[in-house]
Amino acid sequence: MDNWRRIDIDAFDPESGRLSAQDLIPPNETVVTLQELQPKISQLRSLASSGSMDSAVKLATSDPPYGADNSTKATYFQAVLEALTQVRQSDIANIIQQLSSEQQDVLVKYLYKGMSVPEGQKQGGILLAWFEKLTQKAGVNPIVRYLSDRRTI
Amino acid sequence: MSVSHHDKSVVAAFKLVKAPIYSHCYSNDKSLLAITCDTNCLVYRLQGPNSQPKLVATLADHDKTVTAVDISVHGRIVTCSQDRNAYVWEPLSDGTYRATLVLLRINRAATAVCWAPSGYKFAVGSSARIIAVCYYEQENNWWVSKHIRKPIKSTVNCLSWHENGVLLASGGTDGYMRVFSGFIKGLDSKDIMTGSPWGDKFPFGSLVKEWYQGSYIHDVEWRSNIEKVGYVSHDGCLSVADSQGQVQTVDAPEGLPYRSLLWINDHEILCGGYSCHPVMFTEGTGAWKFSQSLDQVNKGAPAASHFAGDNDEDDENPTFGMSALRKFKELDLKGKVTAHEQESAHENAIVQLRTFAESNGQVTQVSSCGLDGKIVIYSV
Repeated sequence: MDNWRRIDIDAFDPESGRLSAQDLIPPNETVVTLQELQPKISQLRSLASSGSMDSAVKLATSDPPYGADNSTKATYFQAVLEALTQVRQSDIANIIQQLSSEQQDVLVKYLYKGMSVPEGQKQGGILLAWFEKLTQKAGVNPIVRYLSDRRTI
Repeated sequence: MSVSHHDKSVVAAFKLVKAPIYSHCYSNDKSLLAITCDTNCLVYRLQGPNSQPKLVATLADHDKTVTAVDISVHGRIVTCSQDRNAYVWEPLSDGTYRATLVLLRINRAATAVCWAPSGYKFAVGSSARIIAVCYYEQENNWWVSKHIRKPIKSTVNCLSWHENGVLLASGGTDGYMRVFSGFIKGLDSKDIMTGSPWGDKFPFGSLVKEWYQGSYIHDVEWRSNIEKVGYVSHDGCLSVADSQGQVQTVDAPEGLPYRSLLWINDHEILCGGYSCHPVMFTEGTGAWKFSQSLDQVNKGAPAASHFAGDNDEDDENPTFGMSALRKFKELDLKGKVTAHEQESAHENAIVQLRTFAESNGQVTQVSSCGLDGKIVIYSV
């Protein structure tokens, strides 16, 4: 029998059950609504416009809305992307120095997300600069963790 | 096989097969070595560190890839495979093995197998989200399998029995490390669990404790005397959990995940994985930290022979510039640079570590198998 890999064995066993997307959601995830997140987004924008970029990036990468729905995540991501792209190339390394390991992990997620959407691709150069400085500082560790992390942004 | 060009921690390196070795195991006296190779399990007799082990038996009853092998204290070999079966191989006096099929009653591949310390039962992990605990029933002359199902959500990657033979730690692709009870009535005694910090009652299949790591758990191992369990996960972390539910985590210094871990003593753990060489972690005051790498290739310092032979043909006219000959010569050199560097004993990921020698609770030699078809023995 050559095509044994194609047999839908679950169809014969009601108890077997497929792994649903629900099964992979990390436990203890708190649901965040757009309303709850709005103050943080405003704060992020005001920090970025007042030029205190290090505080803006630190805020953006602390406690990201893992438990939010997709549109809320997208709104938050917009604010983060704006902040990241406003930073001058020469300041990037300095800001990354100030981030904790957890914040670096979150930053990698936003960089990859940025590179995957058209808005971010327009700013590809600056995102790559962030990425370069981050890997210089932290090695491949944040990337390995990003690949296996089920908490998405 | 000469190993002189390797790091001094490498005691022996054997290239055994031209296929990945997913799992290997030694007999109690370390005279026999069993490895997985495609759909077979190969048994070798060791002949010292300097001569190639001798193939003495090929266990060939599986018809899909063999995923794991383990040898009990009595010398029985158990293998499990993607063909959804396990076999117990009883050694006979003439050096051959008698196979007994164990019906696991699972509908997907078996992925991991582990004998209980007593040697009277074993556990098999599978992609069917089931752990099958199997034991021999005298009256039926049959290996019976009992299932642990809940709350496993995905493939079980790894299993480890506590020394008491009741607690069974498992890890899988659902990102959980769980401790179950594998208590079998009539086989295990309840007395052995009195005073255990893990609880009071251990009915078969009950979940004793679980930890959420989030990424694939690749390997898990008990340190029974201090009631701790270590595990490695695909996010490049080594974690050590205890009966209070506390967990301490340390990152891989090179970032690449580990596939296997081995307790060296109560305060040291050796890990091996995608960086192709073992890495030692030590428990300091209240935290685990990286202590040293074994057999690490120094990428910055290629062997001295590099470029040594490059001068002999460079007496052509330099004004000739980028001649076709020169261009092709340079192309030819591309990708060759690594060939000049010292290589680690393993050329591909290490997938399993086993104890090779120990004294007074301290492991002194460790054996590893890798995707490169090699078995390497390190002294630690």
